[in-house]
Amino acid sequence: MKSLTKLICAAMFVIGVPASAETLRVGMECTYAPFNYRTSSGDLVGYDVDVAKGVAEIIGADLEFVCQQWDGMIPALLANKFDLIVASMSITESRLEKIDFSSPYRDSVGRLVGKSGQDMNLFDPSGNPIPENFSGLRIGLERASTYESWFNAKLPNANVVLYDGSEPLYLDLVNGRVDAIMTNPMKAHLRFLAKEEGSGFEFISPAISEVEFFGIGVGIGLRQGQPELKARLDSAIKKLINTGKLTEYALKYFPFPIHNEEWGDG
Amino acid sequence: MSFDLSLIVETVPKMLAGVGLTFQLLGLSAFLGLILAIVLLLMRISGKWYLDWPAQLYIYVFRGTPILVQIFIIYYGFPQLEFIRESVLWPIFRDPFGCAVVALSLNTGAYVSEILRGGVLGVDRGVLEAGEALGLSTTQRFIYLTTPIATRLALPAYGNDIISLLKSTALASTITLMDMTGIARTIVAQTYAPYEIFISLAIIYMILTFFLQKFISLIEAYLGRYTKRES
Repeated sequence: MKSLTKLICAAMFVIGVPASAETLRVGMECTYAPFNYRTSSGDLVGYDVDVAKGVAEIIGADLEFVCQQWDGMIPALLANKFDLIVASMSITESRLEKIDFSSPYRDSVGRLVGKSGQDMNLFDPSGNPIPENFSGLRIGLERASTYESWFNAKLPNANVVLYDGSEPLYLDLVNGRVDAIMTNPMKAHLRFLAKEEGSGFEFISPAISEVEFFGIGVGIGLRQGQPELKARLDSAIKKLINTGKLTEYALKYFPFPIHNEEWGDG
Repeated sequence: MSFDLSLIVETVPKMLAGVGLTFQLLGLSAFLGLILAIVLLLMRISGKWYLDWPAQLYIYVFRGTPILVQIFIIYYGFPQLEFIRESVLWPIFRDPFGCAVVALSLNTGAYVSEILRGGVLGVDRGVLEAGEALGLSTTQRFIYLTTPIATRLALPAYGNDIISLLKSTALASTITLMDMTGIARTIVAQTYAPYEIFISLAIIYMILTFFLQKFISLIEAYLGRYTKRES
């Protein structure tokens, strides 16, 4: 027994286990511009990608990106297809039952987009939805998104159509298969409203940010039972906030930062 | 890995709520596909090149491309064309159900027409010659001799195609339809429990296939009642 232990020790010594050899595999959609997407030359870029790289640099790990469809993101993490989710995933109660999250690195809101110039009167002045005015409308959502949970809770009778990705949402909004979609306003602005195909469409709701549905924000997802890794991620994100890096990443894609400065305190 | 049995008990009834849509897709596509297949078959055996060649091309295209790609072209591709959005057909293509039925019918039609052709080619020449000797016209020979014998010959392979079509209906879930697979995928996305849900779903499809298979073999037995052999 002793000799076996010695042998293993020797083998480990020979092979060597340098600390910097840690490789973290990061799951993301790779189609969710401007947070994680590929440029025409095939490079993976975006706010999530910048955050992942920034965190990896601070904790001294190598990165490997894995592209994964949204609805299989958490199962794939649990099945050990990758180690972290950096995919604009909001921290929610139901997700926390299955996985852990780092502290947030982006705020999380939702907004409806529809044809402009139609005063549909979907929300009252205090920002609550008016269910009667949703009847007869087809609303496109991404399957298993926080927007779907919000609709299930607030407007259970709404005619909701579920999609597997964000791109088909816009296609079917333009094609007239759905009357409105609920999505991330930052993404909707950059991907759709600011472009030619999005002319004739506008936000038709206020920003909806109820913490019980949308969570405190977007965090890095990891498998449960890794408190040490979580602590390293948390402190890395704090450092990114306090050094102004996170603002710098945001300004590449938006005219404003998309995180809460208070997250850097303490 | 833990296997959550109570989750299965809870979600199977939800998935079964989609069985109606699955069977609507199956029934409509099988019916429309069969009509298309018969038209294609008649074109193929017409002996006229200007009917035969387009039918051959059609069959080649639809058997040569994946059904999923055909569904995507019809659902996402067609609405990009202005004249389709303004045509009378737009209500069909606007609706994901219409798109799914069109795609499944066009696809299964190509396969079934070849199955039927196999049946027609399998009819014994002697029978047709006997019909001719009796003074039956070409049309009469086709209706009274070829059709019943060819149907009997083609039925096992046709049954196979219907079963395959049942499974193809699951692809409708990729274009937002809430058939059994669509419901299952939504539940998986909410519960993050793919094993339990998809295994239950697979078993539901297997049970449906079992009954479909029984139904087809009943028809086979009925049509083959005079030609039963020992083995």
